Order: sequence, then C-alpha cells, then structure tokens
Amino acid sequence: MGLVAEVDAELKDKGFVTAQLDDLMNWARTGSMWPVTFGLACCAIEMMQAGAARYDLDRFGVVFRPSPRQSDVMIVAGTLTNKMAAPLRKVYDQMSEPKWVISMGSCANGGGYYHYAYSVVRGCDRIVPVDVYVPGCPPSAEALIYGILQLQNKVRRTSTIAR
Amino acid sequence: MSEPATDTPPPPSRLETLADTIGTVCGERLRRVASIASELTFEVSPSQVVEVCRALRDDPRLSFQTLADLSGIDYLTYGMDEWDTHSATNSGFGRGVAGLGEVETPVAPMERRFAVVYHLLSVNLNQRVRLRAYCDAGEPPLIDSVVEVWSGANWFEREAFDLYGILFRGHPDLRRILTDYGFIGHPFRKDFPLIGHVEVRYDPEKQRVVYEPVSIEPRTLVPRVIRDDHRYEPALNGRAAGAPGKPNGR
Repeated sequence: MGLVAEVDAELKDKGFVTAQLDDLMNWARTGSMWPVTFGLACCAIEMMQAGAARYDLDRFGVVFRPSPRQSDVMIVAGTLTNKMAAPLRKVYDQMSEPKWVISMGSCANGGGYYHYAYSVVRGCDRIVPVDVYVPGCPPSAEALIYGILQLQNKVRRTSTIAR
Repeated sequence: MSEPATDTPPPPSRLETLADTIGTVCGERLRRVASIASELTFEVSPSQVVEVCRALRDDPRLSFQTLADLSGIDYLTYGMDEWDTHSATNSGFGRGVAGLGEVETPVAPMERRFAVVYHLLSVNLNQRVRLRAYCDAGEPPLIDSVVEVWSGANWFEREAFDLYGILFRGHPDLRRILTDYGFIGHPFRKDFPLIGHVEVRYDPEKQRVVYEPVSIEPRTLVPRVIRDDHRYEPALNGRAAGAPGKPNGR
C-alpha cells in the first residue's frame, strides 16, 4: 500500500493520522530542501540546468533561495578559490540549522584541475563540512539530482528526537 | 573581355596602406615588427608610449578610439625550451613533437624581460594594430600609464600590475584586482612557483579561515614528449605506411 493510500485509509477510518515526530520532520525536511544560490564556476551552469524546465528541481521541493537565512543546503558548485573561501564560510555560518552541504564537481571535491595551483582551495571540505560529494567535471544535471536524492536519503535516516 | 596586360604593380593592400599611414603619423617613434596573419605589430619605446597612443587615437586617418586589450608579457624563459621534459612523468600521455627547427633566440635575457602589449581597434575605420613596449630594465619594471588616453586601460593595467608586477606611472589607482587580499608575489611571472606559497583552511578554534604554508609537493603534469615523432608522416605525405621513401630522421 502506498503512503497516500495508507494515510487516506487511516483518515477514512479514524479521522486522524498518527506518525512519529521524527518521521514527520524528516519528511518535511527532505521535501523542502532549499539550497542557497552559490554558483562559483561552470558547475553552476549545470546546476541551473538541473533547476530549469527539463529537470525541474522544483519537483523535489528544491527551490533556490537568494538568502542563506532561508536555506537548508548549500551546493558548492564550482572552483573555490582562496579569495572566495572566507565568504563561502561566512555564507555557511549564516545558514540556519539544520544545514547540509553538497560539494559539486571535481574542483569543489578536491581542487580538481587546479589542485596544484596557487589560488585554489584543495577541496571545499577544508572550509565547510560536506555531506555529499558529486563527482564530475562538471557533473551532469542528472548527477546533481542523484546527489540531492542521496542527501535526502541521508536526512531521512537521521533521528533528531529519538536517539 | 580581356584586360590589357600592364606592368603596373598591384595596388597596396589595406594592411600596407594602414602601415604607411601609421608610419607617416608616428615616424621614427614606431618600429615595425614581423608578424603573421595580416596583423600589424609595432614596437615603441616605453618613454614614448603615451604620445604615440594619443597620436594613434586622435589622427582621423587612424582613429584608434578603442583599447581592445592591454596585457603584460614575461620573456624570462622565452625561446629557451618549448617543452621542459626533465621533470615530466613517464606515465603521462604521449605527445609527438615534430622538430620545430630553430627557435628565435631571445634578445639578451633579463635585459628586456617585461613587455606591455596594446591591442588597438578602430571601430569606425575597421582596423586594428598591436603595439609592444618593453619596460625599462630593472625591478620593478616601469612604464607610463595610458589611462589618460583610454580610461578603459585602468583595470587592464591593474591586472598587468597584479599578475606581472609592472608599475604604471601615472595610474590613478594601481592596486591588485584579481589575486587574494594580501597576496604576495606576482603569479604570472615565470619564476613564480605554480603551487604558490600559502593555502587556506577553516580553523574551528579561531572560527575563521586561516592561511598556512603550502603542505603538498608541487607537481606539474607535462605530457611525455616524443621528439622527432615521424609516425604520422607517411599519412601526411600521402604515402602508404611502410612504403619506401625518404628514410626517417632529420
């Protein structure tokens, strides 16, 4: 029985639904992961593709926000330079808890093409804690969506109240 | 209809006409340099850059009102090696290099190490010209600013200063434009180590991003070079591979 049918049956039977608070919260969180718009390089183009009509991240409740205060997840999309490291951390610090980070592409994962360069951070995990690494240069829009789904799975597994 | 054969030389090309006009306007201040692909390049002494640029901009026959680009060049290792193979990895991908022949030998290394190149464009006359000015020897390299001629030169000169350390005399606001705040060195200089000097990480105790000396070994991936690679020559010369012909080797 699908979830909707299950809920429907319970509603018809009792007039109310019971659920674990943890499950309810995780359901809400996975269904509304709002990323802060943080495009750094060409990966951001692919991120825009994922957000646009063909792949349509809105279907997953993923809506890009212009403010870190309203965001749950940061997609580090592109090359993180030394100069950008402090602003990135600042944006991350401004996000409200709970928050997650997706590292998108080779440059954000480990410096990538610019690993031995003088101006690039060798992986954005040196600056912020990363939950999901999406490989690729740049990752396709499908790959980013897969990464977002993986993050949803991770969020679904966490139990905030029952430890 | 057949035209009568005449001995008159063909009319000068557009390029040569432009070169002649520039010659009449600037005279001895410009020296033409050999260039390819119907492009015009002139060398100008650093002390005369500003007056020459103003003449090129203001003369109605030239009308170079746009500075399309301004960039620095470091000639430190110019012509010395086309591929430095001493540190190249053996497992890298191969790249055949046909003999390049004689490389133009550089003029007295370090004497004229830095140059500034100006790409000028005339939109209304549809013509372009390139100027090159070697900076005076000495550290830091010094040259006059052309911001007063083209205000668009402002950020170009800041870029050349940032990356090459070329100082532009008379620039209104000569500070770094691309590299990190507090960056030390000029990264496009040939003697700047590619790995740099510092790297960053977040320090959870200080709660901020901190700078530390570089912790990894520098590594430069250079393609494995096969000198005098003749594998593709038969195909290129229209002969079947292995067919008798000119023996390989130069």
